[in-house]
Amino acid sequence: MPKLKANGLTFHVQQAGEGPDLILIHGVTGDLSIWFLCKAMTELARTHRVTAFDLRGHGYSDVPSTGYTSLDHAGDVLALMDEIGAPRARIVGHSFGAVIALHTAAIAPERVEALVLSDPYFPALRHLEDLSRWGHWQVFQQEAADAGVSLSSEHWYDLGKFFDQVMHLDGEKLLQFRQAVGLPGLNRLLRLGKTTAGDDSKVEAGLTAEKILAIRQPVLAVYGEFSPFLSTANYLVEHLPHCQSVLIKGAQHRAPEENPEAFTAALKQWIEGLERFSTHEPVGVVS
Amino acid sequence: MTGSYSREEILAEVAGILADFQGREYSGPIDRETRFFADLGLASIDAVVLGETLQDHYRRPLPFGELMAELGQRVDRDLTIGELADFLARNLGTDRE
Repeated sequence: MPKLKANGLTFHVQQAGEGPDLILIHGVTGDLSIWFLCKAMTELARTHRVTAFDLRGHGYSDVPSTGYTSLDHAGDVLALMDEIGAPRARIVGHSFGAVIALHTAAIAPERVEALVLSDPYFPALRHLEDLSRWGHWQVFQQEAADAGVSLSSEHWYDLGKFFDQVMHLDGEKLLQFRQAVGLPGLNRLLRLGKTTAGDDSKVEAGLTAEKILAIRQPVLAVYGEFSPFLSTANYLVEHLPHCQSVLIKGAQHRAPEENPEAFTAALKQWIEGLERFSTHEPVGVVS
Repeated sequence: MTGSYSREEILAEVAGILADFQGREYSGPIDRETRFFADLGLASIDAVVLGETLQDHYRRPLPFGELMAELGQRVDRDLTIGELADFLARNLGTDRE
């Protein structure tokens, strides 16, 4: 499997296609396979040199015990861009991967041409969202409760607390929990739980509201039609100078999984139209 | 590696590769009905890496991107080892002289 050294760590990297550089960043607890499953890897590789990688702590990349803020990950993105010889790139991120993408643009604006932000929620913009509306979370919470793990609504986004609870389950309970919530690769999740990733993903790490608002690149905000974070989507469209939004029909927080065809079509259409970029009108719901 | 493969041979080779595949959370026997995710406890990232391992093993590119995308469309997002063996048989057979 292709591995690259960057920032003193070894990363699992997948690359395809030729053309302008495009980087794909998955979310916390995910891995680069999301880009294969939603077909973005093969579709975008028709027009770009696409590079997807497993974040530190995830998939087949190294798992340091600390260093999981969006700033740490953004440092990895820039180091990987150096390694692959990409002075500039278009960056697509999902969930916390989108926070990392934007953070990369904030610290190295000259290296980021455009951003696709898929359903992010930003720690600095937490006040915008009422997270109790997240149906996916409520379902997960109920399934977890049935398997003997009580996850508090108040700490819904607190991966540290989640990991604490899951890691203390005995073998039988753990199996029951895994079967209930359908998490494959639970060992990797537990491995991540031993790091500071849970707590680190909640902090601003310098990505303040001012820094977010200073983004001047073209931005596509892709959100699920029923995303829990639509207030963030609206905020980005209203406040960033070149931000379009698109809602993916039927999707909640995981559009690449919930409606992969529409998600990848929206991505492809916008990215391939970047050269013609001129407007920042919302483009409506994609079925 | 050249020539043709029977489905049984392919299944045996896939089972052999999976027998000591990292990321696996299961140690029982592997047959056609064994499910990649639900039974073996593997994740989709393991499918990406297994795809590469199999391409190295058979020394030719195989359309794993298409297989992964099809998997992404499935409601249960799972794949039996038999289906994987059939995919390999289909694509290895295509290149056969």
